[in-house]
Amino acid sequence: MKNILRFTRIGLLVLALAIVVGCQAPAAPAASDAPAAADAPAAAAAPAVPAADTPMTDVGTPRNQTLIFQTFDRQTADPSNMNPMLSYAVWRGFRELGWGFLWETDTGTGESYGELAAGPAEVLNDEHTKFRVALKEGIYWSDGVEFTADDVIYTLETNFACKDVATRVGGVINYVKEGGWEKIDDYTFEVETQKPAYDIQQNLGVRTWGANLVPLPKHVFEALDNPCETKNTNPTVLGPYTVKEFDENGFWILWQLREDWERSAWADLDEDGFMPKYVLYKDFGPEETRSLSFTQNAYDVDTFMSPDSIKAVQSRNDKVTTFSPTMPYHNMDDACIYGLLMNMQKSPYDLLDVRWAMALSIDLETIGMNAVNGEMIVSALPMADTQILRPIYLDPLMSFLEEFALDDGYKPFNPDFGAQLAEKLAASGATDIPEGTTAFGLGWWNYDLDEAAKLLEGQGFTKNADGNWLLPSGEEWVIQLTIPGDWNKVMQRIGFALADGWRAGGIQVNVQQVDSAESSTIQRVNALREVQLMWTNCVFTPSWLGAWRELEPGHIKPADSQEKNDGNRQQWDNETVYALVEASKSMEQDSEEFYENGRLIMQEFIKDMSWINMMNIPTTIPTNEYYWTGFPKADNYYAVPYSWWSSAKEMVANIQPTGN
Amino acid sequence: MGLLQYVGSRVMSYFMVLFIGITVTFFLPRLMPSDPIENYIYELQSQAGQSLSPEEIASMRETLSQIYGLEGNLFSQYLGYIQRVVLHFDFGPSFSAFPTPVLEFIFRALPWTLGLLVVTTVIAWTLGNMIGLVAGYFHDSKAANTMEVIGVLIYPIPYYIVALVLILTLAYVWPIFPLTTTVRPGPLTFAKIQVILYNSFLPALTIVIASLGWNILSMKALAFANKEEGYVNFARLKGTKGRTIMTTYVFRNSILPQITGLSLSLGAIFNGALLTEILFSYPGMGLLMRSAAGAGDYNMMYGTITVSIFAVATAVLVIDLLYPLFDPRIRFR
Repeated sequence: MKNILRFTRIGLLVLALAIVVGCQAPAAPAASDAPAAADAPAAAAAPAVPAADTPMTDVGTPRNQTLIFQTFDRQTADPSNMNPMLSYAVWRGFRELGWGFLWETDTGTGESYGELAAGPAEVLNDEHTKFRVALKEGIYWSDGVEFTADDVIYTLETNFACKDVATRVGGVINYVKEGGWEKIDDYTFEVETQKPAYDIQQNLGVRTWGANLVPLPKHVFEALDNPCETKNTNPTVLGPYTVKEFDENGFWILWQLREDWERSAWADLDEDGFMPKYVLYKDFGPEETRSLSFTQNAYDVDTFMSPDSIKAVQSRNDKVTTFSPTMPYHNMDDACIYGLLMNMQKSPYDLLDVRWAMALSIDLETIGMNAVNGEMIVSALPMADTQILRPIYLDPLMSFLEEFALDDGYKPFNPDFGAQLAEKLAASGATDIPEGTTAFGLGWWNYDLDEAAKLLEGQGFTKNADGNWLLPSGEEWVIQLTIPGDWNKVMQRIGFALADGWRAGGIQVNVQQVDSAESSTIQRVNALREVQLMWTNCVFTPSWLGAWRELEPGHIKPADSQEKNDGNRQQWDNETVYALVEASKSMEQDSEEFYENGRLIMQEFIKDMSWINMMNIPTTIPTNEYYWTGFPKADNYYAVPYSWWSSAKEMVANIQPTGN
Repeated sequence: MGLLQYVGSRVMSYFMVLFIGITVTFFLPRLMPSDPIENYIYELQSQAGQSLSPEEIASMRETLSQIYGLEGNLFSQYLGYIQRVVLHFDFGPSFSAFPTPVLEFIFRALPWTLGLLVVTTVIAWTLGNMIGLVAGYFHDSKAANTMEVIGVLIYPIPYYIVALVLILTLAYVWPIFPLTTTVRPGPLTFAKIQVILYNSFLPALTIVIASLGWNILSMKALAFANKEEGYVNFARLKGTKGRTIMTTYVFRNSILPQITGLSLSLGAIFNGALLTEILFSYPGMGLLMRSAAGAGDYNMMYGTITVSIFAVATAVLVIDLLYPLFDPRIRFR
């Protein structure tokens, strides 16, 4: 029997040794020189042989020649699909590195500029439906063929031809008039829109982070049997980078600089003649493993790392930096904002005083400190407080906010929110508090449970013995609050903190976490929604029309309707807003008149409290400056530091190697 | 009952389970408030800076409904679905990755899932039962007690904790293994197999350790109980060798329920190992199912869940048919 035990122990030891020996780390990956797939563009030149001690990436490129971004979506569903008309791997650098757009947006200024177009679109008629576009000369596809108006015309034709199969052509076919295009010469074309268009550059070009119209290479696509459903793997591109290699399981993609990158769509963004040879978009796992990888200098730019993890990483690696050395540390100029969408057709959210009571019962300081460590920029107005929008929209409305009063004369706005938050942060031990407290926003609503109680009591609400609010009918008031599940951890934390705060004020809350598909459905179906925490009101450039175009008559549904609405997700019936939106559709969108209409709409939002705005999206994007420097920072702000926006090209064009 | 009758009844049950499973699978996602069309429109909205007009949204809704084949009443869609699945094993295109067929994703993820989970399930089962047998049979010895304690300690630890500890230890403090899975594309050469093994070792080790505890404890309990049975005492008194008693008498009777457990575990591997795949960026069926549910991708859910139902039902059928070979008492009933 003792032998049996002994043999068992020996057997286990042998097994362990076999596993260790059998799983020896393979030889370090060879420098990547394998050609791309059969239909690839002209092969890139073989990489320079790195020094013997140069660390290599897992994909076989020298680490100090490879700029590495954490992917926005972790795993992409269909990595080999690179056809911009289909559900392609959109978060894998195509908009940033591969595609060329007619117009791009300079995210440092909010202005649209010509990328493939030589300048702004020329308006040809008073109705603003016909336009002429001149293209730049000397831009070449990655296979050496010049880009011309033929490609744009072909793209428009193909978008329409594929409309019954292609899922990403809706933005073009619902905007451009079918057949309404004409080639004038190799570098000029004309296009007609279905309706008067004052934002053609933002619709056919980039609005914030991608464009509806992605020019296709006519000489490649017309030779295909089925251009509508081709995967277009390893595509011929206009950008300076081509797809070198990609993970068939969707976790990474490697881009390589074209040899002739100076003839590509946005080569003129680069001023110093240097661009990283390789750019890798890779998933480094959940936040736990990402922070370890980041500490090890395994990649350069993260996406939405939590403040706690960033602090932990910084304590171990001083090369990890944030946008600003002071709070809130990060650039939060994302176009969209977090807030509460209420079903204004459903009782009691149809009562103005109830909506105000809800707003005044939100302790946003505590929510911000609990959910995002106080690293936030708040905004009472339904618009992100960004460096582009603040001077045009938010600053001019400060006097309105400060003077605004409810029917009982109460003034709800607190312009000192930032200062109070700073005090609270300092008291909790936070450092790096900025001197200017407007860094946290220009103010928010008072946290005033007494005023909230007064408003509710005025509507017939009462409190029970537990201090919880009861509806006028006598039933306990329970808010059904829909929040994202763990697919958006930041909003999840904010949602739970919000619910806790309301409960402390006597408002009971039932929190329902949902997946992204369900969240998308709920925002459009009255029967499914009472109050939903979500992001919307997305305005990046001074043109707000894209965000509020949906506020038009005809979309209000009954409170318990199962029918999906196509617009007016707030279910907000306001004739003044309808008229302002309609009038603005035929205005130049950089005119003072247009801006003023935007400001008037925001005043209506406040008067009706039709949306409880909370904060800018806390885009926590730390960078690792061990291998690369020159990322956008507060003292060197040339673009938003978002690797998932097409403007990441500005980052790629500006960064420099550190020499490590 | 006769053998033919026995096989016949099991096979009929098998097909009934498949039919019910496939039917329930069709209707369940439709009862969820998720809508793949809304999800996709919202994605397009996000990428258009939330600027799609109501008319554009209405038009896209109609177009996507046609493209996705979601027009018509639910029953006609169900009939079309049954026909496609039963006759052609075709689940249609993925909605979130239209128009790529669902089967393409499944066949891409399945080898990774099978490779990882078959190996780890068999290793954990074999190792766990070996250790459990010894621990149960030699329950008086210190070594055996130590093995039992190891099983007791490992078993309640959540998988997530085991994985993070191993990641910290073997991929960060002593960076022997990579933090994430990276396998470059290309033909399946010996070098690539080596890379796959190297990248899979840590995920595999976490699964083996997390699964070991249950196998040790269950086998130990069975072995200990069977060791005290009358026929074992008789064999001992007869002078049968200890090794023979342990293997032929105790092990053979203790392993029976463990075989059932193994077959069910092997069937369940088609569900993937979601936590493993998330933690290690490891491709597999778990992530496929998870993203399908999140996106409301009906076809992908149908495909992945049906494959899982098929695997588990088949595993149960196989064990039902093969069990008489392991247990002669069933053979002669």
